[in-house]
Amino acid sequence: MLDLLTYDFMQRSLLAAAMVGGLCSLVGVFVVLRGLAFVGAGTAHAAFAGVALAYLMGWPPLLLAILFGLVTVWISGWVEEKGTMKLDVSIGILYTTTMALAILFIGLMKAYNAEVYGYLFGNVLSVTPEELRIIGGLAIVVVGSIVLFSKELYFIAFDQEMAEASGVPARRIFFLLLTLVALTVVVSLKTVGAILVFAMVLIPASTAYQLTHSLSTLTWYSLIIGVVCSVSGVLLSAVLDIPSGPAIVLLSTLVFFFSIILSPKRLRQPIPAH
Amino acid sequence: MCAERMPFHVSASSQPIIRFDHASFGFPGVVALKDLTLTIAAGEFVGVIGPNGSGKTTLCKAVLGLMAPVEGHLHIFDCACDELRCHHRAKIGYLPQKGVVDRNFPVTVLETVMMGRYGAMGLFRRPGKSDRSIAMESLAHVGMERHKDSALGHLSGGQQQRVFIARALAQQPQVLLLDEPTTGLDITTQHNVIELIQHLHQELGLTVLLVTHDINMIRTRVDRLVLLKTRLYAAGPPADVLKAEILREVYGKDLVITENDLIIVEDYHHHH
Repeated sequence: MLDLLTYDFMQRSLLAAAMVGGLCSLVGVFVVLRGLAFVGAGTAHAAFAGVALAYLMGWPPLLLAILFGLVTVWISGWVEEKGTMKLDVSIGILYTTTMALAILFIGLMKAYNAEVYGYLFGNVLSVTPEELRIIGGLAIVVVGSIVLFSKELYFIAFDQEMAEASGVPARRIFFLLLTLVALTVVVSLKTVGAILVFAMVLIPASTAYQLTHSLSTLTWYSLIIGVVCSVSGVLLSAVLDIPSGPAIVLLSTLVFFFSIILSPKRLRQPIPAH
Repeated sequence: MCAERMPFHVSASSQPIIRFDHASFGFPGVVALKDLTLTIAAGEFVGVIGPNGSGKTTLCKAVLGLMAPVEGHLHIFDCACDELRCHHRAKIGYLPQKGVVDRNFPVTVLETVMMGRYGAMGLFRRPGKSDRSIAMESLAHVGMERHKDSALGHLSGGQQQRVFIARALAQQPQVLLLDEPTTGLDITTQHNVIELIQHLHQELGLTVLLVTHDINMIRTRVDRLVLLKTRLYAAGPPADVLKAEILREVYGKDLVITENDLIIVEDYHHHH
């Protein structure tokens, strides 16, 4: 197995997996706490529609994926804020509409395009040096924003109305979070694919959620679980010659089930009042 | 111009800090609170009562600067409420209605109280030693400093309320705004929470606005009662507001104030 690590493509894919795994699990903390799981899943499909359109028109896929992703999260956020429609309904409609667009764009292509399917299912082993630089750049932007606004992000995830009432610019922070979700999903698209990317956002944070009662510990656990599962998933996929996306996601799911079994929250006893 | 920042400990004075001037609140076609004229002075302990849907929560949102009047004016700390800046909002410590906050959220007591610092600190600043000591001091005020590392979800309802009051105190507020703080608590705990609020009012000189259904629990403690039913029905010392004819009009039932208690008697006249 060690000789695998000497290959350039293997080093690149491990680095990409570590970055994407870390990024997704970090953003995932706020997605899980703020209850935005479905929003993220919808974004992944919208971003994929952007990719499909880009290949159809010969435009840069990453740019269109970002554009489609951002428009979708912003519409979702705006709908939630207005409260005129249940969020799951509006996202459900957006989700399927963008997927329909993606299928339409693929159908309009004159020839079968394997690269498009690469974005749907992901393949971390084919990450190019240029893509690695883009992932790295966007990772710096997203992680930097999270570090810079962490206290506000935690507060709106806990209670957005309370945050606003106590003087935090909660609306702007909420839209920042949505933007970070969209960027993360787009960055991860090539690695794990549109269908599986959201597992990488949700599972590490949900696993950490089972294991701790502290926000800061939750964040560290999520980050560690995300990076370890991604890197191990890639190694597993190389050794067993199986697709990398499912390897990462299934490994994370396994860890999640263990966390449920081992969760101290199952044993919790309320402290009596005095 | 807006007033300057005020110190944490404010002595009782008649300086007005919240002024409603013929203010109406609501959405197009729906009036939640109509033509409210009311002044809250620094250091006052005011109870806000009224039936469900009478505009109590609207009043809270207005005081928090989350809702601007559709008619009339509202001044908070001498600012029109739509000019309220973050550091003004931080001067109002708020305890939301129970159930709004997810009690099983993975957060410790100290992490929760530290959130009270975030608004006042502003963006890009990281909480430091002084913020931590203010948070610990706030926990001490509510008698919860021993539980600082406990999971919020593990505490009893009354303890959680104390933690949320500590979070409000960590803002170093001038005004404490509490929206039904005793709902869902047992009688003893209700008493303890109200006593704590009264204690904070006296010790820290906080202006307190307490929204509640529990007239009995507060009527001997507050300086003034404000009775709402989509408009201001009555405001003044409890004895002036809790008159049988006013209560009958507002609640649609006969409420009788005895020496120690306030009871609802639907067939009061049959007894006498």
